[in-house]
Amino acid sequence: MTNPALEQTIDKILNQTEEGILSNIKSALNDSYQTLDDAVPRLEQEYDKILADGKKEADKIEKQIIGSSDLEARNKQLMALEQSVDRVFSQALDQIAETDRSGNYSDLIKSLLDESTKILGTSEVVVFTNSKDRDAVQSALPNYPGSELSPKTIDCLGGVRIQSKDGTMTFDNTIDARIERLKPLIRKEIAAKFGVTN
Amino acid sequence: MSAKGGGVQYSKIAEIKGPLVVVDDVENAAFDELVEVETKDGERRLGKVLEVGNGKAIVQVFEGTTGLSISGTNAKFVGKVMEMPVSREVLGRVFDGLGRPKDGLPDPIADKFVDINGEPMNPEQREYPKDFIQTGVSVIDGLMTLVRGQKLPIFSGSGMSHNLLAAQIARQASVVGTDDDFAVVFAAIGVQYSEAEYFRRSLEESGALKRSVLFLNTADDPAIERIITPRVALTVAEYLAFELGIHVLVVITDMTNYAEALREISAAREEVPGRKGYPGYLYTDLSTLYERAGKLNGKKGSVTQVPILSMPSDDITHPIPDLTGYITEGQIVVGRDLFRQGVYPPINILMSLSRLMKDGIGEGSTREDHSEISNQVYDAYSRAQEVRALAGIVGKAGLTEIDLRYLELGDTFEKEFLSQATDENRTIEETLTLMWKIVSKLPKNEITKIKDRYVEQYYKEE
Repeated sequence: MTNPALEQTIDKILNQTEEGILSNIKSALNDSYQTLDDAVPRLEQEYDKILADGKKEADKIEKQIIGSSDLEARNKQLMALEQSVDRVFSQALDQIAETDRSGNYSDLIKSLLDESTKILGTSEVVVFTNSKDRDAVQSALPNYPGSELSPKTIDCLGGVRIQSKDGTMTFDNTIDARIERLKPLIRKEIAAKFGVTN
Repeated sequence: MSAKGGGVQYSKIAEIKGPLVVVDDVENAAFDELVEVETKDGERRLGKVLEVGNGKAIVQVFEGTTGLSISGTNAKFVGKVMEMPVSREVLGRVFDGLGRPKDGLPDPIADKFVDINGEPMNPEQREYPKDFIQTGVSVIDGLMTLVRGQKLPIFSGSGMSHNLLAAQIARQASVVGTDDDFAVVFAAIGVQYSEAEYFRRSLEESGALKRSVLFLNTADDPAIERIITPRVALTVAEYLAFELGIHVLVVITDMTNYAEALREISAAREEVPGRKGYPGYLYTDLSTLYERAGKLNGKKGSVTQVPILSMPSDDITHPIPDLTGYITEGQIVVGRDLFRQGVYPPINILMSLSRLMKDGIGEGSTREDHSEISNQVYDAYSRAQEVRALAGIVGKAGLTEIDLRYLELGDTFEKEFLSQATDENRTIEETLTLMWKIVSKLPKNEITKIKDRYVEQYYKEE
């Protein structure tokens, strides 16, 4: 036997529950939409940040790669240039060593002796030279009173090394020493001939 | 300057005393003249004339006098002062403390040879520094901004992370908003081998070596070489800046080792010692280095200096930081407490200051709100420190709501703004955004140093 009042009450409760559930679902749906909407800008921010960080990292790596390969290329170029300069130098030195000692060569020896005795402030010196230049030096020495030619020869391309008689002062005016003094400038000139300018 | 009669070799050595060699019967030597000292075994060392007179010359040997003896040692007076070969080609190169190649490559082909003692800048020609240099380190860019032509030292202590910071600045520094060339000259004085290697590797791996020149004088190199290292570095910097128009940042670490070398020579010369045994002319000597920073009228480039010095016993009144502070335009102080907490870079902002910052920031340089937000951050962090001290006594429970906000601000400042990874390069925009994030920890009514329009634009209450 049915009880209409009870059934009515049950229906009412069911309806209310259903409405409540539906309303909750609707509100949950709205909340979800809201959360989703709120998340979009945050997501966009995150997305932008990840992109920016990635770009930064990529730029960094690009800089590293370009920087190191540029340097590597430059260093190889420097080494190649240095080798060429050295080759020019050694050829030039060979030519100087084979210079003909006749003609104006004695003038060169005289100017080297002039300069050296002036720098030491005395002509009372012992002069050292190589075997090839001995004759030229010997013939120039009478112009320098008190000077004498050492019986010992030195290993050099040419020119003279003079020493005060007490042995405390020495001036090296050999061609080797002069080249050594001017080497940085000569390197620059040779590099310029190769088309390398700073 | 060149000495008359240069190139003469003298063999009468009267005395060898510490790093000094006294040569007898010398004629025509000149002050500061370069000398080649040749040992009995034919080894050559460089030196310079410190004093001449009465037929004697006192020569300071850069590579030390170990192994030299009175007999058999010769001193050749070269007839010119010490010069550094300079050209654009020095960029990307690594040299030792005397300017000789250390990277296995040949000597650079010189454009010219420049006296390492430099030419003093004509004060009339100096241009006031006012252009921003971005280091990528937030605390420096935001609160103690470096400007082109400034000298801004870093005061640190032994064992702290100043060398990491120096390398980071060298890697990251740049000029923004312009296409002008930028270069870094890095001089390491008396550093450990591992540190020297770190500097070299760090610049190589970041690709910054291409625009850098490194001068490395390691701890086991003769101390006397340290006198020369900053001078050759600054000579190259001046050439790059004033001849080639490049903006050059010179990072020199560690100036304390330089001053120690100066003391060693002074003691060997038996000069009357000044404070802590340093020579009485320490101030003058330091100024000959620091004053080589600047900008010149009509010249495009600039020389900016960041010398780093470690304060013995963290004592800021020690003669080296004390005298440095008189000459330079502010200081960045590395704090021991922050270092112990593991903060990097551990910069104590309350003791730090860039005196030229005000002219290098703002609209057109960084951003219009920079000056005000910087003042507000200083003020707020200072208050946070007071609140921390108070909390140490009364406990957090005894603090007011606003005190707690300041406390939180202090923590955020150290964790998010001050702390930075060693390879993190922040733009000035990122730095300023972080500064606003710090300030936004406070309620609006606590923000008293910033114009309302900036507050409206940048403040984001959390």
